[in-house]
Amino acid sequence: MPDQVMEARQRIRELLVEMHGPESFVRTVSDTVSLRQQGLSSAALVSLLVAMEDAFGFEWDDDIQPEVLRSISSLADHVVALRV
Amino acid sequence: MTAVPATLATATPGTYLEWRPVPPPYGPREQFAAGRQAAAAALAAAGSGVRTVPRVAGGRPDFPRGYPGSIAHTDRLAVAVVVPGAAGVGVDIEDAALTQRIIDFVLYERERRTLLAPAGRHSPVELFSAKEAAFKALDATAVGTGLLFWRIELARSDSGLVASFGGMSVPVWSRSEAGFSFALAVRR
Repeated sequence: MPDQVMEARQRIRELLVEMHGPESFVRTVSDTVSLRQQGLSSAALVSLLVAMEDAFGFEWDDDIQPEVLRSISSLADHVVALRV
Repeated sequence: MTAVPATLATATPGTYLEWRPVPPPYGPREQFAAGRQAAAAALAAAGSGVRTVPRVAGGRPDFPRGYPGSIAHTDRLAVAVVVPGAAGVGVDIEDAALTQRIIDFVLYERERRTLLAPAGRHSPVELFSAKEAAFKALDATAVGTGLLFWRIELARSDSGLVASFGGMSVPVWSRSEAGFSFALAVRR
């Protein structure tokens, strides 16, 4: 797996820990599982998206597809794709 | 916590609302269980013989045929609503504090200008909750495919709010009380 993807996943995981704490669901959640099904609320999802804008230096497009927002993995793939 | 459900329930005749507290340690498992208990109670009140609500792909609750419903929860409180005969139902409950960045992310400029104080009478978290409830009511439709809740547009209506997306619309009732904001959307 490219280093960029691994780094993006790690940074997203760090953002989730900053928001929810190290003992939250983030401790055990896998990179590919649905964050919403793991208990991430809609408000928490939007908080993560806003934090990602600051952390990675981009803005979410209006036409982003829901599957991009599904997991740590899909979010990281999107961030890396923006940099190509 | 009973005044708000009562006002929402009377806003839409034939609505069955039930609430359950989330027990400690307030984690996802407890929230899920409290939501299903509320759903079972709402289905019983509505006259359904089937009172279980399994998850379908994507995590959406699958209510019994003829008894469409919706479930929402915070980490302390779960709510479920059933509206027999409705085409789509969405309920939401929020207690999160929203930053200005989140408000700007979720609300269109026109919504902020016309629906928030001083021009409007709604709080940001009420509108957030209204969009989430409308999303759930529209989610089972064709317009729901690819829909993100913040893309739904809100406007004033005679009874409160109307939410629109992709040529479809749904009325939304919203209330705030005791630190929570509630929203209910029923598509006929």
